[in-house]
Amino acid sequence: MNSHPIPNIVDDADRLSALMSYAILDTPTEWGFDDIVQLACHLCQVPVSLVSLVAGDRQWFKARVGFPHCETDLDSSICAHALAQPDAVLVIPDLTVDPRTRANPLVTGEPFIRFYAGAPLVTPDGHVLGSLCVIDKVVRPGGLTVAQAENLKALARQVVTQMELRRAVTSRDIARAEEQRAYQVREALRDSQARIAAAGGDLDAVLRAVVAGAISAVPAADGGVIALLDGDHLEYRAVLGSLAAHRGQRVPLAASGAGRCARTREPYLVRDAGSDPHVDRGLAGTLGLGSAALAPILGGDGVLGVLKLQSARTDAFTQGDLDIVGLFTSAATAGLTEASARAETCEKDDYWRGLFDRLSEGFVVGEVVRDERGRVIDWTYVEVNPAWGDLLGIDPKTVVGRSVREVIPDIEEEWIDEFAQVVETGEVANFTRRIETISRWYEGRAFRLDANRFGVIFLEVTQRVEAEDRRSALLTLGDRLRDLTTTADMTRAAAEIVGRTLGATRAGFGRIEGDVEAIEIEPDWTAPGIASIAGRHRFDDYGDLRGSLRRGEPLVIDDVATDPRTRDDPGPMRAIAVGALVNMPVRERGRTVAAFIVHDVKPRTWAGEELAFLRNVADRLEVGVARVRAEELQAVLNTELVHRLKNTLTVVQSIATQTLRSVTEREPVEAFERRVLALSRAHDVLMQKSWAAARMRSVMESVLGLQADLDRFALDGPDIDISPQAALSLTLLLHELATNALKYGALSAKAGSVRIAWRTEQGTAPTLVLDWTESGGPSVTAPNGRGGFGSKLIRMGLVGTRNADLEYGHSGLRAEFRAPLTDIQIPVH
Amino acid sequence: MTETRRPEHALVLVVEDDPILMLSLVDFVENAGCEAIEADSVAEAIRILETRPDIRTVFTDLDMRGSTAGMELALSIRDRWPPIELLMVSSQPWDASQIPERGIVLGKPFDRRRIVAAIQKFAA
Repeated sequence: MNSHPIPNIVDDADRLSALMSYAILDTPTEWGFDDIVQLACHLCQVPVSLVSLVAGDRQWFKARVGFPHCETDLDSSICAHALAQPDAVLVIPDLTVDPRTRANPLVTGEPFIRFYAGAPLVTPDGHVLGSLCVIDKVVRPGGLTVAQAENLKALARQVVTQMELRRAVTSRDIARAEEQRAYQVREALRDSQARIAAAGGDLDAVLRAVVAGAISAVPAADGGVIALLDGDHLEYRAVLGSLAAHRGQRVPLAASGAGRCARTREPYLVRDAGSDPHVDRGLAGTLGLGSAALAPILGGDGVLGVLKLQSARTDAFTQGDLDIVGLFTSAATAGLTEASARAETCEKDDYWRGLFDRLSEGFVVGEVVRDERGRVIDWTYVEVNPAWGDLLGIDPKTVVGRSVREVIPDIEEEWIDEFAQVVETGEVANFTRRIETISRWYEGRAFRLDANRFGVIFLEVTQRVEAEDRRSALLTLGDRLRDLTTTADMTRAAAEIVGRTLGATRAGFGRIEGDVEAIEIEPDWTAPGIASIAGRHRFDDYGDLRGSLRRGEPLVIDDVATDPRTRDDPGPMRAIAVGALVNMPVRERGRTVAAFIVHDVKPRTWAGEELAFLRNVADRLEVGVARVRAEELQAVLNTELVHRLKNTLTVVQSIATQTLRSVTEREPVEAFERRVLALSRAHDVLMQKSWAAARMRSVMESVLGLQADLDRFALDGPDIDISPQAALSLTLLLHELATNALKYGALSAKAGSVRIAWRTEQGTAPTLVLDWTESGGPSVTAPNGRGGFGSKLIRMGLVGTRNADLEYGHSGLRAEFRAPLTDIQIPVH
Repeated sequence: MTETRRPEHALVLVVEDDPILMLSLVDFVENAGCEAIEADSVAEAIRILETRPDIRTVFTDLDMRGSTAGMELALSIRDRWPPIELLMVSSQPWDASQIPERGIVLGKPFDRRRIVAAIQKFAA
């Protein structure tokens, strides 16, 4: 029991808080304080001195001399009474008599103290924290001298100063430690971010980097793990330190600290695994878990997992540690997101690269090269795919970084200009173009990638383009051959078409003489700078060339310098600018009679398609030439035939005239003569079309011209082709009509004329209608009786149809003749 | 060879190697009111012309043996005896450029009217 209660000031919260702020209780002894109590002993000539700090429940001695205990309870405290008088030194000369101390256990019992003097420890804020006291075991009735008391107060102030100093140092150290800690955390965070970046999308590496970083930032941890959510469990994925052996450990969401953290998505501090309501004791034992700091790894819409740091000790982690763990979960989230993005990108990258590598189309990424004025003058290969190499015939590994002018010298300017245009305008360009130096055609599409780069995807279309060229060349040849009428023109046209299509330097056609001994080459086609070799050439002058041509096979030489038939002396070939050649034979009745020749000044490999093309050309040319020959021959025969026909008719005419010499009436004789003449004119007209047909107007003019000037006749009608029979019939009919008109009708008068008009009438049976209308002549009447042969001919009408409507009027004859058009026109097959 | 001197008639030398046609040609000459002197070959025609400067007109067939004989004759007549008029008949077409100056070529079979008209024109 306490006879004299300790002052209330002892329990003052501000005072206690001030005391706590010095953080001095329970700290080791320090020279600064020890020195002060030594000095106080000497000053006051006492055996005991203490720096006593009065807490709420005890007094604790920071420094002591001659006193065995480091602290006492407040019942034993005399210093507590010193608190009540902050300005003065409390001096109790005889503790056994002072009511405040006579019951004090230290007075009544060991060590039986008798004298006490204490100077209060007053902070700059005015709080009294305790006292610097001196104690004796004998009563000192005189107490302290004034000087001793003042000096003791001075020493007490020194104690406070010392405490202030100590606190300043401590707080500086704490600040430093915190700074150090923050630095460590930042470093650890940066390290793990660097490691995450370096992990390149490897998820396990990312997670390990996060755990390692957190452990190094929180030294209290002896192990760490990232557990990823998997259904209703969390599975240990990245494990380090004391948890290293537990990879793959699964913990239920419902019954674990990590599970709580994941479910609530809040950080969670397990202070003591042994008492934590969420921790499974068995699991804690397995994992060696004393305490843990847990934070959720959040991503996108939900929780991905949990980062846990643990220690075998209980209460190893502070709230600050938990915050740090939280920082690392952000890194984990970022890492996880990046890892999946990277993995996706990487996958896409691999996908596209694989695609381009497997593509049969060539693919190029190019970058334009500009001159100092910014004009595009070249471009370099940035990337090409394997197909590019196949299509160009260039090793793709050798071109990246080089310019197209370097890789393909003499490349056409279009290959640079067009891609420059694509980069400048951003417009896609489609092309089908040849690279002359490698003689290949490409078709593709170029598109802009950025301000300097473009992509090109393309195919080689040489075969297609050349096949098209050959096809269109054959069509052109067909047209030309059909239109041309002489063999010289035809062979020349064929030579030019072949030469241009095959890109050869000379092409021509020649007639072969004898048993393939010589060839008479007709005027040939040559490329610029190549001389013609038209004229006669002996095969043996150029090598052993006759064999294949004699057998009717093409003579094909890819290189005169290496071919066994010419290599012994390629000089004569070289002299006429031949490096490679084809002679395609033309056969007639088992003999080679002609050859189509193609030369190239350079060696070249003649492709099968090219030889087939030549074969085709030679065949067509031969057919064309044969047609022209046949037509020429036909024309000669026709002329000869008409010549003989006319001579025969002339002889018949003469015989008849002489036979009828005695007939006194000359008119019928002359009529006969003239009918023969008219018939012969019809043959003249028919001959122009080889007796296959005749032009209606020509037939008319021919026969009417026999009778009178053509200007007396007005012809009006379509100039149709009519059959030979119709031509002869029309001739005889018009002959008789004109004869009569001349004798009795319109043509007998000076001003009389005849209009002959014809038309076709469509209907069930298309009909030709021919009108003969005389005008300006005397009035005419129908002949008496049946009339003569002439009248009969007229009544027979056209092609014997007897469809003749005759009207004898006052100004001459009007007649209309009708005949089925099918009988007039040539049959159309 | 017939040779009847009738000064009132113009003389026409008829050259024809076919006897039947010769009859017709002579007929035409006489129809025209002229007198015909017959020659059945080019050689004879030349011989006659060399001896008969009074022949004003030669009427020849161009289609005689040796396909170009008639035309050769015509050309040499125009060359040697430029004043002589030339009337020719042929079953073939002839280009104007091939025909001697002032010459007329008529076709076969014969067009009596034109032949007679041509002979009369030359004889006038």
